[in-house]
Amino acid sequence: MNCAEYKELLVGYIEGLLDETEKRSVAQHLRDCAVCRAELKETSNLYSRLVNNGKNLAQTNLEDAVLERIIREQNVRLKTASKIGASLKIRRIIMESKITRFAAAAAIIVAVLMGIHQLGGGTVTFADVIKPILNARTVVLDFIVGSEETGPVMHDIVVGSKIRRTISNMATIMVIDLDKGKMLTLDPPSKGAAYVGIEGPLREGTKNLVEFVRKVITNLKDLPVEKLGQRKIDGRKVVGFLARGQNEQITIWADSRTAQPIRIEMMLGQTLYILKNIEFDVPVDESLVSMDVPAGYMLSDKQFDMSNFTEQDFITVLRLWAEHLLGGSFPQSLTVGDLMSLTPRMGEKIGQLNISDEEKTQLGMTMGKGFVFFQQLDPNGITWHYAGSGVKLGDASKAIFWYQPKGSQIYRVIYGDLSAKDVAPENLPK
Amino acid sequence: MSETDQYYVERCLDGHPDDFRYLVRRYQGVLLAHLAGKLGNKDKAEEAAQESLVRAYFKMDSLEKPDSFFSWLLGIADRVAKEHQRQEQIRRQREAIRSFSEEAPSPEFSQDYALEAAIAELPEAYRQVILLRYYGHHSCNQIAEKLDMPLGTVTKTLSRAYAVLRESLQHECSEIGEV
Repeated sequence: MNCAEYKELLVGYIEGLLDETEKRSVAQHLRDCAVCRAELKETSNLYSRLVNNGKNLAQTNLEDAVLERIIREQNVRLKTASKIGASLKIRRIIMESKITRFAAAAAIIVAVLMGIHQLGGGTVTFADVIKPILNARTVVLDFIVGSEETGPVMHDIVVGSKIRRTISNMATIMVIDLDKGKMLTLDPPSKGAAYVGIEGPLREGTKNLVEFVRKVITNLKDLPVEKLGQRKIDGRKVVGFLARGQNEQITIWADSRTAQPIRIEMMLGQTLYILKNIEFDVPVDESLVSMDVPAGYMLSDKQFDMSNFTEQDFITVLRLWAEHLLGGSFPQSLTVGDLMSLTPRMGEKIGQLNISDEEKTQLGMTMGKGFVFFQQLDPNGITWHYAGSGVKLGDASKAIFWYQPKGSQIYRVIYGDLSAKDVAPENLPK
Repeated sequence: MSETDQYYVERCLDGHPDDFRYLVRRYQGVLLAHLAGKLGNKDKAEEAAQESLVRAYFKMDSLEKPDSFFSWLLGIADRVAKEHQRQEQIRRQREAIRSFSEEAPSPEFSQDYALEAAIAELPEAYRQVILLRYYGHHSCNQIAEKLDMPLGTVTKTLSRAYAVLRESLQHECSEIGEV
């Protein structure tokens, strides 16, 4: 090798990258060649300078400063300054099983109110409540029970502990005050208004809903959560998380940058709930959630209360459905979505019945309570089965519905003639 | 900290902004050296490095190849440095006008960063290797892996980069010597 070739090896020599043979050869040459020794010295000087400068700069740590700036920048971008610190920390968005009840409760309330609304008095409205999530004072979202294609869409405007809810297949407006356990329902076509008590399980469930939404946003707890990777929703990059409980499953799609949930899918037992188009802290006209009866509306003097519901109420729903909408047969399937979809038609039919307004109201209440009875099964982990497809109303030989009440060993079975009996598990219809 | 750039980039995109910390840790030295060389001042380099990193974070979804995060980051830093130089120029001009001085002051160029300035002038391929080796504290093997080249090539590149650096530093010294 000549000097030029040795020079090429000097950096490797200093860095300790040469193999033994090369190293010995270079060392030998350096002993013999003063020019290359001078070259080595200069190269070593530069090496030391590089190493020293590198070390000096390494003493500067930008991590905290940079992350802090990112947080600040995100604050600005999201205009929700106080929340970003927390949202930055959101690694997983999680679900606790009992919280899923909220959704069911919300659906129940809706169904109940829809049922009531159709009665003579021109009643129902409904708004739902969710407490501010992560201080978000207002939340706007769409809520669907059943499939996205066919399920009616509920539009919720949540301000503090008040909710205004409208439903795509009904004119009814509902305003709920969770703190007071009270709901104001408005029916724009008839200008009817009514207050409905929602104490008990309904209000309880709604409170859980509030909690649920808050947790979705803030929750930092680590549950086993399956990551679903990225996709785009309405042009936004989102990342999905799937959490499974015993009786429920929840998927949350959140903006991959801000961690704000924008779509939530919940499977409770056999029912799918979808929350979408979720927005936080958008400006809302507060009069929309006022519990005062708006000008021009007539307040009903009736007291409505949805606190108690029974199997008998549910049986009434099945009877009305088969008798008035299906010409004497039971429906092919039975889901919350089905019930919600048919509510307006059912209400119409009741309105046409040749009975007094008083009786219509009673029937509507019963229908609403029947919905509640059915809808609370899944959230409470009660197993049920529907087998009414093709069965004629009055056919006592066919079981159309059975369920196992909470804490009970035996089942309740409802037959085609709408009688109901206790049945041991081994004697259930196959 | 031992994960690939791609891993951390994807984590950030998946909503784990905290993981950006590891990329900052990995490249802050490199960025500071690069920017100190361009801006000639440590405080300015720090400010520009922070800005580059924040910008990178918010633009991450436009990074097409997550494994080329490093070169992409240097590109952002170059733009930030240019903007800062431009602002600095404007500021100086204004100052000059205010002080009725026709003469724009020469840029304050600290001798401390002559080496980094020389590095900033290196051809891209040389610059990356030098920055990663001495400011990013990568071993030659790690560089070979990251830049997808044989170890021999890394050694050769280093060696040539040394030659160019020595030459430009000597040149500078002799210029100073002439003054």
